[in-house]
Amino acid sequence: MDEAMDRSTVFVKNHDAVYRIYDGEAVVVLPGEAGEAAERRHLNQIGTLVWDRIDGRTTLGDLIEAVVQEYEVTPEEAERDILEFIASLREQKMVR
Amino acid sequence: MWLPGGQAEKVTETADFRPGEDYFGGLERPFGGQGVVLAIGPLRMGLEGLDADQAREIGSRFHAFVDAACTWPDVKIALRDAGVGAFLGMPRPGTYEVYRLESRTFGSRLALWSYEFAGFIDSADGRGALALVERAGPLFERGLENFLRVVTASWMLRRGGFLLHACGVVRDGMAYIFFGPSGAGKTTVTQLSPNDTILSDDLTLVVPGPTGYMAAGIPFGLAHHRVPDTTGSFPIAAMHRLVQSRSVRRDPIRGARAVGEVATSLPFVMQETSQAALALDTVEKALATIPVYRLEFRKDDAFWGVVAPGRN
Repeated sequence: MDEAMDRSTVFVKNHDAVYRIYDGEAVVVLPGEAGEAAERRHLNQIGTLVWDRIDGRTTLGDLIEAVVQEYEVTPEEAERDILEFIASLREQKMVR
Repeated sequence: MWLPGGQAEKVTETADFRPGEDYFGGLERPFGGQGVVLAIGPLRMGLEGLDADQAREIGSRFHAFVDAACTWPDVKIALRDAGVGAFLGMPRPGTYEVYRLESRTFGSRLALWSYEFAGFIDSADGRGALALVERAGPLFERGLENFLRVVTASWMLRRGGFLLHACGVVRDGMAYIFFGPSGAGKTTVTQLSPNDTILSDDLTLVVPGPTGYMAAGIPFGLAHHRVPDTTGSFPIAAMHRLVQSRSVRRDPIRGARAVGEVATSLPFVMQETSQAALALDTVEKALATIPVYRLEFRKDDAFWGVVAPGRN
């Protein structure tokens, strides 16, 4: 885990990101800069569960709990997967 | 050159002038007193303030799309002499840059500008203005067409349709749409369909009709794009995301993946959060009745065997 991050850490979606959920799966679009194509990310159901809860108030601990309740994974596995997912979203500037 | 209405700054080869409301409010010089109405799918677009040569040239170039009987267009664009040499600084000769197009939204008004034009359209009353730095020639044509393409895309989105970066081909009365980024094979598909009606090889309209979604072509393309064979609208059979391959196969795309694939192929409207949200909702509604496929194809017409079996 990032040294500055613990289970009370919260995440914030990029305010420009637009998303909709269809049949439990999200499509997230980050509008492009002038002359550039929009970025698109398609999320599976577990990714959608996490993404939909990212609101600047829900903590990493809350996200882990939500995933553990829905899927048969340990808190440690959930935490590892969520952090990997968050890192990829950060890389694509979809969360901060 | 000192700019009217905007911040006073000296324009050099590379200086950018981003027009504000005061600039658009001060646009007073029409090129002339003539007008033309163009019919783009369900959109009637009136161009006003043209001089005789411009009206004749536009009427000739977009001949099939001129609606001489229309007296009340949906959108009215007043063409004006820009009074400046450029908006965004023109690239220096011998240098290359991706065509720059900038926009700003304030309320119901969308303003956009590039090198050779600046304009706005107000979706509340359908009125707009287009300032062009030249009254004829390549810069006039490019500025006019680029602005009208964005106006078309924006207007359609607010009426439940959209402009798609796609080619449209009509076979046996049904429209087949093939989309994807530049280089995906849109022009190739049209070239491999010599006996079919081509709506567009680059930008195709998808509009709701009384019995389902219809496809139509638009006349605004740069010189290398093909002018549509028809001004008609045709019921859509399917949309295909083009993927070049050595094989030919077609697989359905559904749900979020389909909406994402199509929505991110909408030009001009995905640069802004409010329009992007509307685009997702509009595409979702359309895809409730239009099937979407991933089409692997090679450079021969074998793809028609899976796209429209029994119709080739």
